[in-house]
Amino acid sequence: MYMHIEFWGNEFKVNVIIGCIGAFLIAVVSSMFGFGGGPFMVPLMAVVLGLPMYVVVGSSLLAIFFNTLMSTTRHYGLGNFDLDLFLVMFPAALLAGWIAPKIAKRINPLWVKRVAVLGLSLLGLSLLGVF
Amino acid sequence: MTYKMLAALAASLLLSYPVAHAADQAAPAAPQGVPAAAAAAMPAAAPAVAPTITVDKTSLENGGVITVTGQGTPGKPVFLEVFNENKVRGSHFDKTPNKETGKIPYKLYLADEIPAFYRIYVPTSAQPILDKFKKEGRGWSYSGALKETGGDVAYSEPGKRAIIVYQASLAASIVGSRGELLPALDDKERVRRSMQVVKGRFRSVDRTIVASVDQKDDGSFTAKVMIPQGVAPGKYVITAVTDKKAVSAPLAVENKISFPMRYMSNAGTSLNIFIPFFIVLALATFGVLMGAGGGFIINPVMLMLFPLPHNIVAGTVTPTVLFSQASGVINYSKIKFISWKVGITLGIAMLAGGFIGPVLTSMVTVDEFKFVFGWILFILAALMFWQTTPGYMSKNKKETAILKEFQKRAAEAAAAKAAKA
Repeated sequence: MYMHIEFWGNEFKVNVIIGCIGAFLIAVVSSMFGFGGGPFMVPLMAVVLGLPMYVVVGSSLLAIFFNTLMSTTRHYGLGNFDLDLFLVMFPAALLAGWIAPKIAKRINPLWVKRVAVLGLSLLGLSLLGVF
Repeated sequence: MTYKMLAALAASLLLSYPVAHAADQAAPAAPQGVPAAAAAAMPAAAPAVAPTITVDKTSLENGGVITVTGQGTPGKPVFLEVFNENKVRGSHFDKTPNKETGKIPYKLYLADEIPAFYRIYVPTSAQPILDKFKKEGRGWSYSGALKETGGDVAYSEPGKRAIIVYQASLAASIVGSRGELLPALDDKERVRRSMQVVKGRFRSVDRTIVASVDQKDDGSFTAKVMIPQGVAPGKYVITAVTDKKAVSAPLAVENKISFPMRYMSNAGTSLNIFIPFFIVLALATFGVLMGAGGGFIINPVMLMLFPLPHNIVAGTVTPTVLFSQASGVINYSKIKFISWKVGITLGIAMLAGGFIGPVLTSMVTVDEFKFVFGWILFILAALMFWQTTPGYMSKNKKETAILKEFQKRAAEAAAAKAAKA
């Protein structure tokens, strides 16, 4: 089942079934573990659904916002929330959103990604109890 | 209706507690006046007399060591039960197959009122037993360790608190439910399940059972009770127990914490608020730089550094990004850079997923949570690595150029519209 979309004068065909199943699974996992689904939604839309990047950036954020909103409400309702901890983390997250773009201009994104690959692998290994 | 029944039961349990406890203490208070039945049950040994206890201090500043001294019955070991007055939620999801039938129960035991701190202190001679259980790793048996050290006689407080049981099922999970609410547990079963909840909450041997009661031949004893930094403030109630009928009067020691320490009441931990603030600041900044958001690193690092329950961490990290996502959506929509049709269609699928996911969080243990998270990070690392390969880079360069061009057009169109209006 395909959906036709029009975006800035270009037309695209999107496989809704695959898109929705993928988005659903990403949402289950990301809301269960408490992270944003962005890094998984972008490849889903860009690679699997074949949409160009300029369509993906804004639209994936909208889809993820739905997920975060629902996930937040559910976690809160189930008692998985600590107000004091939130009040400590929230200002830090806001400040990070303000600082990061300023740093981004001065550093090479390729190196950020390389450091991220190394850091995430090490963190992953330690979570698996390797060290 | 079942809810009301449960609430009534819980209330009656809590109400009956002080009375029952008073009765416990009254019985051994009469010297040598032990009921004939009890004496008949233990004909060889003299009945134990309720121990007496004193403490060297009545208040602590963010933890410290309390020295408990007292008098017990010669030849009968004394155990201490120490609990904090603050209450936290604990849960245990039973997925161990039944030994006879092989059926997996899939029952969720949820206790909303377990003490924020709970430890049993056993004689120093029991240290080898504890060491043995430590070697068993994560799957060590709390009830087994209590039984072998004899500390189970002092285990009483968590077993008195209400536990709600849900029968989880795949169908229930799909509709985002914890499952069918089961009837209340009987006393024996509640005590048994409360041990699993306590173990799930405090996890390690060191944080649940301590061998520190040093008893002399005349029955007198001293014990060091260490209240660590970062645990809950408020009253710590200490009781010495020789057996179920020989229980000392409880003593309370107040633990005070002051700024910048803050008690996170749902997480059950006191933290210096600056430490998580700067950790989250650093991790979230890096998360934004690498374009993946902070949740991927904040969740596991918080779990590694602080004794926080994983469901609380996941549920509290999630809303921190809500605001930045909303402002991102608004900014993109201003320059008409969102395909509402695709965004909303996939968004509805994500709404359904986001409804189910949070229920599953408390159905896994913290170790399973970390294990799966480890694999998620490997997948993310692989995606990141792919983004550093030359093929992706050259494709991305073209895509970024197109993206910039469209952004420019979108911004111009929005500006032109604003000028007209």
